[in-house]
Amino acid sequence: MELDFSILSKFQYALLLGLWTTLKLTVICIVLGCALGFAVGLARTSRNIVLRALSSAYVEFFRGTPVLVQLFWIFFCLPLMLGVELSNFTSGVVALTLYMGAITSETFRASLKSIGPEQFDACVALGLPRNVQVVNVVLPQAVLRAIPTLLSNCVSLFKESALVSAVGMADLMFVGQNISNNTARPVEVLSVVALIYFVIAFPLTRAVSVIEARILGKLAI
Amino acid sequence: MIMSFSLPLVKMQSLHKSYADGAIQVLKGIDIEMKPGERVVVIGPSGGGKSTLLRVMMGLEKIDSGSVTFDGKPYISSGSSESKTVIDMSVRRSIGMVFQHYTLFPHLNVLQNLILAPCKVRGEAKSKAQDRAQTLLERFGLGAKAKAYPAQLSGGQKQRVAIARALMLDPKLMLFDEVTSALDPELVGEVEQVILQLAAQNMPMMIVTHDMWFARNIASRVIFCAGGVVVEDGPPEQVLGSPKEERTKEFIDRVFHINQ
Ligand SMILES: Nc1ncnc2c1ncn2[C@@H]1O[C@H](COP(=O)(O)OP(=O)(O)OP(=O)(O)O)[C@@H](O)[C@H]1O
Ligand SMILES: [Mg+2]
Repeated sequence: MELDFSILSKFQYALLLGLWTTLKLTVICIVLGCALGFAVGLARTSRNIVLRALSSAYVEFFRGTPVLVQLFWIFFCLPLMLGVELSNFTSGVVALTLYMGAITSETFRASLKSIGPEQFDACVALGLPRNVQVVNVVLPQAVLRAIPTLLSNCVSLFKESALVSAVGMADLMFVGQNISNNTARPVEVLSVVALIYFVIAFPLTRAVSVIEARILGKLAI
Repeated sequence: MIMSFSLPLVKMQSLHKSYADGAIQVLKGIDIEMKPGERVVVIGPSGGGKSTLLRVMMGLEKIDSGSVTFDGKPYISSGSSESKTVIDMSVRRSIGMVFQHYTLFPHLNVLQNLILAPCKVRGEAKSKAQDRAQTLLERFGLGAKAKAYPAQLSGGQKQRVAIARALMLDPKLMLFDEVTSALDPELVGEVEQVILQLAAQNMPMMIVTHDMWFARNIASRVIFCAGGVVVEDGPPEQVLGSPKEERTKEFIDRVFHINQ
């Protein structure tokens, strides 16, 4: 077969628009998902049994079901149950934020647990009040320790976001699929789409190991 | 001096402490009175409750019963109902503690480690705290390390930073729990020198150590603690040199035997 990549030049703009949607969705869900994940991570290490039970149920449920099912459920079932119309974009944000919250909460939980009890002894011996302990000692250490894994979580989200094409959101994947259907050139189009995903994700995955080495080396935490 | 004669700095009365809901009795009635300017070295076999004693003094562990006064003021007491330990937080601020495993904050550099508590607890101005910190670091031979992170320091340097950090709060009593036990032998000296420096300035301290040379050099008084009680208490020459109690003698013989 003959490959003709020149047909893609016609669809440059559409592809960029799709990429823009993918990136927007990813970034919004990273920010919201990390915030949710930190709160849930705290709840899971909390002494309050109700908080612990609720947060565990949420995390286990979202980790134990396919993201595609979650996405369909939020797109089609949630509006029925709430009785409101949700835009495609809103539904996508809700679904991927809940997914991101579940996986980053595990990251934060592990990093919170890795702060040894002697750090708390030091806080007490220095007379640091509770709020200073959390803000100046626990939070920065938890975040620093979590950064490498969080970056991996972000890369996962970026890739998983392609699933929203299945519910009709015009992201990069969706645009690519449409072009490939219309032009009957799946090899060229889908290869380029894959390449775009890769070009963005690869530096991030590389950054994970570099950042990890720097944090671990400099701070030994 | 008349004041110091009449008023003990620390007065522990009948301290009892157990773990696991009373299953493990660790302190079984400790009475220690410490005068201002005294340097008390606590020695004793592993598991004898030395760390627990210091942790209680620092307010890190609750007690079952007993009381501690500091500078004449009630400091720790076990409330009447159900072993509720009451700790006077304002008194606790005048006690500093250094632990075996450094416990520096790894995400903060040396200077930030030193000024965190003064700025956040006392509301001291940052520039003033930094000046004091720098002076203290120079005194301890760490002037060049202000911007270093704990991971970039040797064990001996970390421990000196930990001591400086505690001193930033102007403690009236310092507690040292085996601060050289985790160090390589060649680094022990530099940390002990810093503590000896403090001793020369009459800083009251309570020190747990297994280093008998250090104990002899720094102590104004030695307490041998075993099985949760004070077995022997006296001047270093007596307790380390010619102990009265059989258990002390056995322990000292064994430790000196190992040290040789
Ligand atoms: N958090 C805890 N829970 C249960 N038991 C504990 C706890 N902390 C200490 N213990 C027990 O209390 C006893 C006294 O411990 P402590 O650490 O005070 O002894 P130590 O004299 O400092 O010993 P070492 O010389 O080994 O440091 C030990 O038997 C120890 O196992
Ligand atoms: Mg100990």
